[in-house]
Amino acid sequence: MTARFVFLVHALSPVHRRFIGLRRATPSIALGLRDGTDPMSGIGRICTLRLGDVAEGEVWAVPLDPTQMLEDQERALVRLERAARLAMLHGPVGAVGLGSLAAVIGGRGEALQERLSVPVTTGGAATAWALWKNTRAVLEARGADGTVAVIGASAPVGKAVATLLSQDGYRVRVDNKRAAKGLDVELADDADAAAAGCAVVVGAATTGGLLNPAALASGAIVVDVALPSILTGPAPAGVRLLAGEAVSCPPSWDGGTWGRIYQILAGYGPFQVFACLIEPLVLAVDGRDRPYALGRKLEAADVREFGVRAEALGFRPRLAQGWREARL
Amino acid sequence: MSYDRLTVDSLDAADPVIWGKVRTAFADALGREEDEVELQHKIIEELDAESLDFLDIAFRLERAFDIKIPRGGIENTAKAGMGDEVYEVDGALTDAAVTRLREAMPEVPAEELQAGMKVTEVAETFRVATFYNLVVHLLNEKASA
Repeated sequence: MTARFVFLVHALSPVHRRFIGLRRATPSIALGLRDGTDPMSGIGRICTLRLGDVAEGEVWAVPLDPTQMLEDQERALVRLERAARLAMLHGPVGAVGLGSLAAVIGGRGEALQERLSVPVTTGGAATAWALWKNTRAVLEARGADGTVAVIGASAPVGKAVATLLSQDGYRVRVDNKRAAKGLDVELADDADAAAAGCAVVVGAATTGGLLNPAALASGAIVVDVALPSILTGPAPAGVRLLAGEAVSCPPSWDGGTWGRIYQILAGYGPFQVFACLIEPLVLAVDGRDRPYALGRKLEAADVREFGVRAEALGFRPRLAQGWREARL
Repeated sequence: MSYDRLTVDSLDAADPVIWGKVRTAFADALGREEDEVELQHKIIEELDAESLDFLDIAFRLERAFDIKIPRGGIENTAKAGMGDEVYEVDGALTDAAVTRLREAMPEVPAEELQAGMKVTEVAETFRVATFYNLVVHLLNEKASA
């Protein structure tokens, strides 16, 4: 039986909202005549993603843009719940995944989980897995000497990645004393001090703008999942900024025309997805009733377990520069 | 019923029911034990909160007290009484802004708010008591409505 999951997203900008209106055949939203806050309009399925006959996932969108998601979290939560319940009318759902700010509001998914009977997962484990593996790929290409800095290590993903790299035997330096607690890592006073002299720097914060580019060593590689970038300004000449959360999909992955359009508009590009998208897929395929990541809960062991399952299904972390695969 | 805002010198006068809920909200949002959260703690420096944690804290407080915390609430409160006076110049606080912020945030030691500091640095002075006071302000407003 094909496992089924739902991935909930919102409009990344007013332009995206118009796309949602177009896709949902809602002219007032497509033409920009309504702002998306109407409780009944615009919520709907954007595309269906398939992994052979193993899994089928529907991407459902609410037409709220980032500002609207943040200014009234309860309203956003109600819309997300409605989207999930509408998706469930189409058939049983094994897991609900949350994209972008949907994974941040409402207690990082906890409030939505209280309202739904299926596991809700934020994508944190998948993001941490991709970031960890992509960072390891850079470290191995670089010969793995020296210290790797993890910036934003107080966030769940950052803490998990610092833990995993430390467990793997790498010398890790973090920018936050709470992240260092219980780990065999170096502690720096702040992000700039943590990155100083490091050939490889991990941007693991949920939001960016934490690291002064001038603090980076010449020739450093920054593997980043922060949005916007972990850097406060443009990367200096000679410093490479790579996307840390891209994942390549197995040949049986198919989203159809709308799926390809969605991947491009969401910023994935045509040949990769952001890792968070596949977290509910893995949950649903395994029939696991406990989310990999919810609220601030994200265990390094769960990240490892997720990675094993994702790779068994054919997904691979993909070090990316924009839409392209990065060459080291 | 009206609640008093806390000042630097009156942190021990917190209403136990409100403080209990505020403490729980902070502990849950930051993944900490409740006894790790105190009113005088700086939220960023001492409780290691990142920017998104503020969103989570606000959501939990809104649910706990059935209130709506406006975005930019503290800055807007400070700006509200300024009339034509200028709040910032090139991202730095003016003398007038500092005066208003000190009034809006009596729980923050006055010396931490200085003219010339960056607007973006104001959040670094926020205490747990800052949110306690925000909740009290909104509860009082709700009660008088």
